[in-house]
Amino acid sequence: MKIFLNGMQTQVDHTELEAVLVQLGYQDVTIATAINGDFVPLSQRKHTQINEGDKLEVLAPMQGG
Amino acid sequence: MSMKVNIVGAGVAGLSLAWQLAQQGIEVEMFERGSKVGEKACSWFAGGMLAPWCEAENAEPVVLEYGKASLVWWQNALGEDFVDAKGTLVFAQQRDKKELKRFARRTHGYEVVGHDVIASLEPDLASQYQEALFFKNEAHLDPRKALIRLSEVVQKLGVKIHFEQEIEPEDLLPEKVVDCRGFNGAKALEGLRPVKGEMLLVKTNEISLSRPVRLLHPRIPLYVVPRDNQNFMIGATMIENGHGNQFSVRSMLELLGSAYALHPSFAEAEIIEMGVDLRPAFIDNLPRVERKNQIWRINGLYRHGYLLAPYMAKLAADSIINDKDEIEKLADFKLKEDRA
Amino acid sequence: MLDVYGEKFSNRLLLGSAQYPSPAILSESIKQSQSQIVTVSLRRESGGDLAGQAFWQIIQDLKLKVLPNTAGCYTVKEAVTTAHMAREVFNTDWVKLEVIGEEDTLQPNVFELVEAARILVEDGFKVFPYTTDDLIVAEKLLQAGCEVLMPWGAPIGSGRGLNNPYALKTMRSHFPDTPLIVDAGIGVPSHASQAMEMGFDAVLLNTAVAGAGDPVAMAKAFNLAIEAGLLAFEADPIDARDMAEPSTPMMGKAFLS
Ligand SMILES: Cc1cc2nc3c(=O)[nH]c(=O)nc-3n(C[C@H](O)[C@H](O)[C@H](O)COP(=O)(O)OP(=O)(O)OC[C@H]3O[C@@H](n4cnc5c(N)ncnc54)[C@H](O)[C@@H]3O)c2cc1C
Repeated sequence: MKIFLNGMQTQVDHTELEAVLVQLGYQDVTIATAINGDFVPLSQRKHTQINEGDKLEVLAPMQGG
Repeated sequence: MSMKVNIVGAGVAGLSLAWQLAQQGIEVEMFERGSKVGEKACSWFAGGMLAPWCEAENAEPVVLEYGKASLVWWQNALGEDFVDAKGTLVFAQQRDKKELKRFARRTHGYEVVGHDVIASLEPDLASQYQEALFFKNEAHLDPRKALIRLSEVVQKLGVKIHFEQEIEPEDLLPEKVVDCRGFNGAKALEGLRPVKGEMLLVKTNEISLSRPVRLLHPRIPLYVVPRDNQNFMIGATMIENGHGNQFSVRSMLELLGSAYALHPSFAEAEIIEMGVDLRPAFIDNLPRVERKNQIWRINGLYRHGYLLAPYMAKLAADSIINDKDEIEKLADFKLKEDRA
Repeated sequence: MLDVYGEKFSNRLLLGSAQYPSPAILSESIKQSQSQIVTVSLRRESGGDLAGQAFWQIIQDLKLKVLPNTAGCYTVKEAVTTAHMAREVFNTDWVKLEVIGEEDTLQPNVFELVEAARILVEDGFKVFPYTTDDLIVAEKLLQAGCEVLMPWGAPIGSGRGLNNPYALKTMRSHFPDTPLIVDAGIGVPSHASQAMEMGFDAVLLNTAVAGAGDPVAMAKAFNLAIEAGLLAFEADPIDARDMAEPSTPMMGKAFLS
């Protein structure tokens, strides 16, 4: 199924967010996630379904003022 | 001397080292995942500027110190006419005059030149600019031609290059191995981070340039490097934590906007290529040569691939040939100065 | 001591982490500034290169308080979602709330700001709102539950210093008990001194250090300037006068003509 990962169309093989993240290379890293503009906390990643066409944002620390 | 060295990665780091070693009669075998030189190398997207005085604006002083020698190194390796030693011109738009002043304060090795000199150096820019900084000792080369030529030169010296060979350096032990994989080798090096860069190649007959020009801007500094056949390389973005390999609309707008600001004739240019890659960088933005037993690694060339690969190749070759464990670490003088 | 949301800090410089020539210079500048609070942000991360992780390691190694911002957010929804993501990533309920209204000046959109602050305070955040020097907006932010205010000195990154000292002074005397931090627009250390002399509690800046020719030295200069300004404020400065007044006592002076 196709989703939008950080604005880029991306093929994923799972529907559960946690599995999707592992597939996309985000294992054991400091990130936060949102689906379609809504924050999905770490504790909910296992129970959150991702659907065709969803917009997944994965953010990490970066420089800021 | 009977010694054999394997090099993984035929980017600017790997090829420079191959030349350095082969020059001294050492047997070298190279392994490259791409099917030809440059195909999968960050080095393919570089501007090819040998501009250590300009870079000193915000690079550590060692970049200038060691970068200066790279011009002669490239001339030796590729032939004198391969390097264009015509200097760099640095401009700012009228409303960004302050930027030119700031750049001048933070660099040296330039002359402030006026309209007449600009007209004799770059006639097509004369109507636009009354003032520029001319760094006359700087040079540039076409990085793509340089990589290909260097690969030919080293092959003539007996170096074997195996293409379409994606391998882990460890697999070549117990022979000597040098890991020159660029950012793809990040997992083996703590603290190596990617600094994304985007560049464009455009073609236009409306303007001619003989040397790299830089246009200063508070947010979007830009350079344009002339290539063969009226092609121009426009670069480059510098995005910390840049992700992915797509060219963003914002970057495209900014690069093209600045090129158009440099000279309106770029409006009619044809876009030939959009390139994106990740520059490998360590915490101080300085490259390193590291050694662990029989594995050496050259990495962290950041935006100074062509400028500093020659020096790093010399350091690595010295350590390999003379079996040295202690390898010079390029010092971040800006930090080390006594600030007590 | 700077006292914000029940935490105390001996240093009064809050330093941004963006735009340094290299991460090494960033890290050294923060050390030399003696700052105890550093601002950070969130950006998209790709699973391939995981670029943000290296930066995060550098910041963690400094062992300071981090203040995540919501830079680049234009709406309540964006800012609130970003704040939640930041809380999880940085493991702090502090947030520097920025809701930008317009791209050229990066002015805060104070309407959205107040609304976002209200929601975030309800969600348990400790909000540091980046605002203008408008007193009514400031009142609304306090009513929304903010316990600190961060009025601008001048537009972000402009380096113009305190554009409207009168308004900032008024704000200071209007809110004598609220921690006030001048945020943005600082160019040189004397600007920071000026804010401290006016009685502000702290100064937040980034570009003035990161964009200097020698950021490490400039970081040090700001630390000194802020300390000087604070000392001066606490020492109760004299008032300006229209007429000269001899500084050398006249009493007992010899009569020689
Ligand atoms: C837009 C842009 C502009 C730039 N401008 C300039 C400039 O003007 N001047 C300058 O000096 N520098 C510039 N740079 C920086 C310069 O390009 C880099 O510093 C330099 O290319 C890094 O060289 P490298 O040999 O370490 O890596 P690379 O060029 O990436 O070479 C690594 C090679 O290793 C191969 N490889 C990787 N993994 C394996 C494996 N497992 N097995 C086999 N082979 C493998 C790759 O295919 C590649 O060919 C620029 C960079 C960018 C992105």
